[in-house]
Amino acid sequence: MEAEHPMTFADQVRAIPGGEHLEMCFSCGTCVSKCMIQQKLEPEYNPRRLLRMVMMDMREEAFKSPTTWLCSTCDLCYPACPQEIHISGVIGAVKSLAVEAGYTSPLETVSVDETLCSGCGICVMTCPYEAPHLIEKEVNGVMDRFSEVDKDKCMGCGMCVAACPMGAIARPGVSNPELVNQIKIKKHKDAPSLVVFICDWSLRADDDLTILESYPENVRVIHIPCSGRIDPQMALIALRSGIDGVLVCGCAPGECHYQRGTYVSACKISLLDSMLGQMDLADGRVRFVQLGTQDRGRIRHEIDGMLAGLQREAA
Amino acid sequence: MAGKPKLAFYWAASCGGCEITITELGMRLIDVGDLVDIVFWPAAMDFKYDDVAAMKDKEIDICFYNGAIRNSENEHVAKMLRAKSKLLVAFGSCSHLGGIPGLANLFDVETMLQRVFDTAPTLDESRGTRPQMKNKMPEGEIEIPKLYERVRTLAQTVEVDYFLPGCPPVVDQVWNVFQTILAGKLPAKGSVIGAAEKTNCDVCTRKKGASGMRIKEFKRPHQVQLDPEMCFLTQGVVCLGPVTRAGCGLPCLNGNMPCRGCYGPPEGVVDQGSKLVSAVASLVDTDDPKVLEKILEGIVDPVGLGYRFGLAASILSDLKYGKKGA
Repeated sequence: MEAEHPMTFADQVRAIPGGEHLEMCFSCGTCVSKCMIQQKLEPEYNPRRLLRMVMMDMREEAFKSPTTWLCSTCDLCYPACPQEIHISGVIGAVKSLAVEAGYTSPLETVSVDETLCSGCGICVMTCPYEAPHLIEKEVNGVMDRFSEVDKDKCMGCGMCVAACPMGAIARPGVSNPELVNQIKIKKHKDAPSLVVFICDWSLRADDDLTILESYPENVRVIHIPCSGRIDPQMALIALRSGIDGVLVCGCAPGECHYQRGTYVSACKISLLDSMLGQMDLADGRVRFVQLGTQDRGRIRHEIDGMLAGLQREAA
Repeated sequence: MAGKPKLAFYWAASCGGCEITITELGMRLIDVGDLVDIVFWPAAMDFKYDDVAAMKDKEIDICFYNGAIRNSENEHVAKMLRAKSKLLVAFGSCSHLGGIPGLANLFDVETMLQRVFDTAPTLDESRGTRPQMKNKMPEGEIEIPKLYERVRTLAQTVEVDYFLPGCPPVVDQVWNVFQTILAGKLPAKGSVIGAAEKTNCDVCTRKKGASGMRIKEFKRPHQVQLDPEMCFLTQGVVCLGPVTRAGCGLPCLNGNMPCRGCYGPPEGVVDQGSKLVSAVASLVDTDDPKVLEKILEGIVDPVGLGYRFGLAASILSDLKYGKKGA
């Protein structure tokens, strides 16, 4: 009778759908060069090394690695891989083993306020990561339905925070009141005022951040994790407070760090613009721009262009 | 209060549906008559404005005011009733949020007058004739009220104590509110009464959307065979349930039609239509800008959809007319 070999770490990863192409990696590192997380957030982030760790049975190290937890399956690396490995799939397989082993995500994730949640399921349908799901439980003797978020699946993009009609979902730093509080501008007599909601991932270079910091007080830059976090209600609140324009910046089509955020945002701003148009208010005061990998420095032209347009409109 | 509490009903810019709700009280109307003195109800009883003007301030105990503020007469009576009433309740969607008349904020008054009196197809020979503000009659000169540029809600005109939403408010809620007021068990001033705090989805029993269920095409109710068991959004049909306060008992949904939003936004939501956009846009499924454009063509009238009952109260109206309003 054939002896049963204990499954290696690599065997376990391969057994999970997505993990099967593990051994095709020959450690070229092209994936690392494509990765926005490695460039912008975590220098230790390295899919190539994680795949090696799996092959070398370095279970604990792999589970503790930021690579296991930070991958948002944007899949920028996927078309670049010469071996056509769906790397996020392999990382996902490692992550599910890590969760099984009791490890938890180090990310800021969202939480649901059950006193507000109506159980509509919009967050469930919105989330790119299947993090929220509806549960039923008894509250004061009555069965009620709520959304519950799987913290290990949540990537903290905030798309559900914007989608939730009740404002029941919050993520530290980007909850509704926190963002609205940032919409405050010292108005200059002669210069139009502009709020820029910018997806942090859409800025590909440090130079772009420097550009944003160079603007005077009439331009307020509000950083959001994803342009999909933008809430049209917030844009309207900004305009009603006397601010002249709202610019939303997201990633180029196909480059969204959270898969769908850039389209969700495009859709929101397009509908908002249609509504402003129906009210004879569409005079370029709300815009959505998509900044791609090749667009270093473009943010300055976008902001200056919008300010000039608002100035003309005011004249 | 000495004797029975005094009650007033008034209709301003509204369709009359709110008045019909009162008649739907049926046999309970007899109880109403026993419990209160009706001192003003132009739609049903013979009172004149002069009767109200002659009252002392705060002489009326409860005033239910339905209808938006569309013209100078609506405003005049709103101010008069405010002064004469202890408790002023905005009754129904029009006084609460502007209602259907509030959709007039999409157009300027001249455009509307042109449409109504000059260009609308008609068999009447009087095409092109406009009503005059003043007319000489044998009895003397008469005036018609001035139409305002902006349709406003009651609360944008005078201080309102409570809001009873709905187009019209469902009759059982009206009865509950009536009894709550008589029992003196009202919540904090400025509250919405006769409705819940959460949204219609909280009480809707349709099967909700699962992960990955997204919208590839928006459909209007007449374009699709609607599954009565499933959430409308999962069927690509925009339902305002997620952005609408519960309390109506879901008559539209029970008739297999999506919610239109007449109960207004839930507690904590400022602007119903833009919140709808935020929720519904989050469900759109495409990674192609051209397809996205095509999908959005399915929403033919975003303002009419998101603000069907709330345009007058919306931030859009504030932006168009300035915060205070024309």
